[in-house]
Amino acid sequence: MAETEELLVVTYRGIFQEVEEALGIYSDSYREESAVLFLDGSDALGRKIEAGRPILLETSSGKVVVAAKISEEPHPGIAFMPRSPWSASLLPAEVGEGGLLQLKRFRARASPAGEAVTTIEEIGERIRVF
Amino acid sequence: MISIMDVYQLLPKTNCKKCGFPTCMAFAVELLGKRKAIEDCPPLVEEPKYEKKLAGLRELMAPLLSTEATETGMVIHPERCYGCGNCVVACPVNVASDPKGTAIGRGPVSGKAILMVEDGVVKCVNVDQCRRFGPEKVLCNACIVTCPSKAIEFI
Amino acid sequence: MAFCTGCSLLCDDIEAEFEGGKVKRTMNLCRKGRAHYDSLSIDRLTPAVGGSEVRGEEAVTAAGELLAGAECPLLLGFGRSTLEAQKLGIELAKKLGSVIDDPTSRQGLIMERILKGEVPTCTFDDVRNYADVSIYWGDDPSSSHPRHLSRFSYFPRGEKRQRGYEEDREAIVIDVRRSPTATIAADGFFQVSPGGDAAFAEALLAALGGKIPKVEDKKRMLNLATKLRKAKFGAIFTGPGLADAQDGDLGWFFSLVARLNEFTRFSVIPSLPDYNTRGLHQSLFDVAGAVSPVSFEDGIASGPKFGVTGLLESFDAVLVVGSDPVANLPAPLARKLARIPMVAVGTHRNLTTDAASVTVPTAMAGLEAGGSALRSDGVRVDLEAQVKSDRPTDLQIVEMLMEVV
Repeated sequence: MAETEELLVVTYRGIFQEVEEALGIYSDSYREESAVLFLDGSDALGRKIEAGRPILLETSSGKVVVAAKISEEPHPGIAFMPRSPWSASLLPAEVGEGGLLQLKRFRARASPAGEAVTTIEEIGERIRVF
Repeated sequence: MISIMDVYQLLPKTNCKKCGFPTCMAFAVELLGKRKAIEDCPPLVEEPKYEKKLAGLRELMAPLLSTEATETGMVIHPERCYGCGNCVVACPVNVASDPKGTAIGRGPVSGKAILMVEDGVVKCVNVDQCRRFGPEKVLCNACIVTCPSKAIEFI
Repeated sequence: MAFCTGCSLLCDDIEAEFEGGKVKRTMNLCRKGRAHYDSLSIDRLTPAVGGSEVRGEEAVTAAGELLAGAECPLLLGFGRSTLEAQKLGIELAKKLGSVIDDPTSRQGLIMERILKGEVPTCTFDDVRNYADVSIYWGDDPSSSHPRHLSRFSYFPRGEKRQRGYEEDREAIVIDVRRSPTATIAADGFFQVSPGGDAAFAEALLAALGGKIPKVEDKKRMLNLATKLRKAKFGAIFTGPGLADAQDGDLGWFFSLVARLNEFTRFSVIPSLPDYNTRGLHQSLFDVAGAVSPVSFEDGIASGPKFGVTGLLESFDAVLVVGSDPVANLPAPLARKLARIPMVAVGTHRNLTTDAASVTVPTAMAGLEAGGSALRSDGVRVDLEAQVKSDRPTDLQIVEMLMEVV
């Protein structure tokens, strides 16, 4: 079943996210620039994910809710996400053969979420408390 | 560029002639030529069912109707601008008039540059010097094709 | 004229007016640089011990006690510190017998080869004056280093590049997505699948050798090879996409660079994240012959296993300087890190300072404090303060810590 297949999430940096990061990571605008996932149209359709709606992303490292966006160009099986505390919540902690962490990409399950987009305060709390 | 079809799609498409033109398409041409205003289409502003179309048309036409655009035809979308200065450095007018500044990738030094980055976004001054204006205008697009974010357009 | 410490290009033609500790007007600062300047008055860190606000000196004393009492401390960050603070930070690591690491900077492997002289490099000014081919690999400087293309690598006129980018320069972008830089390169954009960089390099190597490359569009790859073979002066800019492409195995990249240098000079300049990441790499290399992580526990040793990715549990104190590892490390590691007693020294509040036992605020270099730094290409610049500040510099904090440990 296509909709249960994991997506390969690749992270990147965008200028407006970096701008909002400098202007304060606890702001709504930083969250709006960071807590997003760009999906391929067919991947979104197969998972009943709608543009602008919250989606739950899960890996063995953790889970977060971000806002779904649909890319103009097709990239089936791959999703793009700004590198941020949200993407770091999902990164694997195991090192590769070269002894380095893979901080650029990971596999994640994506599905429509019933809850709101995770806030940075929640991410911070999860790290400090659990 | 705003296309005539995009404007037409946001009109009532009833050809009611209340604007004084025979068809909505003809009215779209007048709108784009700035010879008519959005408010010259009575159904669009009066009938609630066109509320969405009206909002869409206002948004579409906003850059064309801004004061800066009416004077020069150049529209800068500061919210999209990276302030990277690609246009500043690629602009042939800047290159010719500011050889020790913008031409070599730096901020302007000659006082004659027409594009510069102020407060993190691009700004155009003395636009009459731009190669797209005046009687001997050429269709220069150096500031458009070098932009990473479509922050500049000419309409 | 002033410098911008918003990224590792360290732009030096900035004009800024300030009023009441805030930025009023700027010229030549890019969007990102302007935000960096605006951050002067946003979310600044305050001194605290155990979550309660204290006076600055008390926070430094508590920090010193925490570090002095540790058996095995870990030092993280320093990419946003001046060269002087970095050098003393390394001395502090030596004195403490600890490990120093910058785990979120991904280009150490490439920098190490450059510093060893095994990979050719040049300055950005050389690129501007001579380069006719710029390759951006896994690198999107339009987003991360916004003035990269306009100041140096594509648009400016230079000594041997008088005719502008349309005639005199080529931009090649190799990336997994059509980034803003790829959009500018237009036909020069080559899309690779995630992790497909080595295969792309292999096909390019074949094409350079006159063989038919094993790719879908053979003609396009052969054209690229011809372009590179005919180049007079090539520059390769690497970004996190390249550094992370093959899990740290970059042999394929170094082979390609060596092969290209058989035709003409191709120099590599990594697009480093923080304003003085290059300075940290250089300072560590000068002392240890390697870049981070470097361990001073038992003599000098280096390698990934010593740092954050190794046995994080074995550290009993952490000193973070000018960095936010809690926000950027994989969550399981961030959770482990947050459990270790931590001192966070920095300019702004972030997830790491939120998790720290002791926080020590510092001045922003280039804005509130002076010092020197190395641009991404290794060129040294001297920063000066532009506004007054009561906050101490990183260097002063490290000096105080040196005294108490």
